[in-house]
Amino acid sequence: MNNNSTWEFGTRQVVYGAIGAALYGVFSWATNIFPLPAAGNVAFRPAVAVLVFFGAAYGPWVGLLAGFIGNMLGDMLSGWGFYWNWSLGNGLMGMIAGLVMAAIKDFKARPDITKAVGYGLAGIAVGMLFASLTEMFVGGVDFSTALVGYFVPAFIGNAVVTIILLPILMIAFAGVAARRGR
Amino acid sequence: MLVTWKYRPRNTFIQRLDPRTRFIFMACVILALTIPEIWDYRFLFPLFLLSLTLFLMARVEWKDMRRAWFYIFILLFFIVGLNAALSGRGGPSSVTNLPSPVLFTISLWADRGWVVQITVSKLWFALNQITRMLTMALPAIMLPYTLDPNIYGTAFKRMGASDKVSFTMDLAFRFLPTFARDLTITVDAQRARGYEVEKLKGGLFEKIRKLAPLVIPVTMQSTVTGEEVIDAMDLRAFGTNQRTWLKELHYARRDYLMIGFGVAIFLACCIMKWGFGIGGFFVPDFFTKFILG
Repeated sequence: MNNNSTWEFGTRQVVYGAIGAALYGVFSWATNIFPLPAAGNVAFRPAVAVLVFFGAAYGPWVGLLAGFIGNMLGDMLSGWGFYWNWSLGNGLMGMIAGLVMAAIKDFKARPDITKAVGYGLAGIAVGMLFASLTEMFVGGVDFSTALVGYFVPAFIGNAVVTIILLPILMIAFAGVAARRGR
Repeated sequence: MLVTWKYRPRNTFIQRLDPRTRFIFMACVILALTIPEIWDYRFLFPLFLLSLTLFLMARVEWKDMRRAWFYIFILLFFIVGLNAALSGRGGPSSVTNLPSPVLFTISLWADRGWVVQITVSKLWFALNQITRMLTMALPAIMLPYTLDPNIYGTAFKRMGASDKVSFTMDLAFRFLPTFARDLTITVDAQRARGYEVEKLKGGLFEKIRKLAPLVIPVTMQSTVTGEEVIDAMDLRAFGTNQRTWLKELHYARRDYLMIGFGVAIFLACCIMKWGFGIGGFFVPDFFTKFILG
């Protein structure tokens, strides 16, 4: 089903990067009001599943652009301003999730869904760790606050959302892609 | 809950600035506070006043920003401020390491020794933390209200981004109101079928799973829309050659002045911190006296 090369960056990636970013921004905006318990300034985001899905379906560049620009849009719409490190962390999250793209043959096959969830979790771990640790320089937080106050709640919240919603998105996408024929 | 850019052309100094100038100035302020890790109120408060002045000069109406300020208030006071005042975390270690008069003690679990001491230092730090965040956030907060959404792509292109990245940025801004409208329509359609967004029952996992009837239709529809846009762009040979951009941007004298001012702020903070050791966290005597009476 997926025969694009992983690092291709053409019209498809530009368009789906933009679409992913806009969707991530809108869904983030809709849920930014729910902060995670015990987290510094980290919000509960079901939108993360959409970001991971775009990475898995369209590749790492789409994941990177959708995460970076989408986080920026969501924060701007909510009036939170611009946090470059969290935007980059979200970009990394989508990018690493996108590394699975070439390995996915069937979006409704259990092994492929498991692979996508696994890469998604790895992306969440790396992206949120990057954002949390850079808070040490940006926000001046100490290491334990970065780890316990930011990374752990962000990782758990995003992981839960991804584990639940990503399989549903992938199965729905398999149907849409089959009808579209490409 | 329709999202639209609240951009409106206003004849203000801020809107007359080139968008690149605004991005560069914003970056200068953020970097000036974060790279040399400035926590000194003698730097923070003047920079906060500068950000606030620029924000007020943008003349964004209260009715447009009411909802955004609600979020900001919750974030700043209930999440960041309270966290800083209670734990003293989120800043340099000197907030909790240096001795400071204890104002009162909150006993969470006295038997286990879980007590939180609210010190003068933590209180001053919370004030500084809020000021610092607002200083960095204010120039960004006004962007959606004062920067034409059609100009983001051009601005990033002229700042050195590639055609593809700039176009991604431009398309994302254009798609945003469309998908927000789609989400609203989907919510209304599901409500008509008896789906109650406000009354999702079950545990956390069940609640997340029940968001699928909202997330799936909007996401799947967007993938279909994407194919149509790709076809249209391919027919116009997008990506085969260097693009030209409809909007032209030109720096004026005021832009050079603002960029120079921003760079000067950044350099001054770096020089003061690394050259003279000024800019770190400390509690001024007047605050201690004021709090202790």
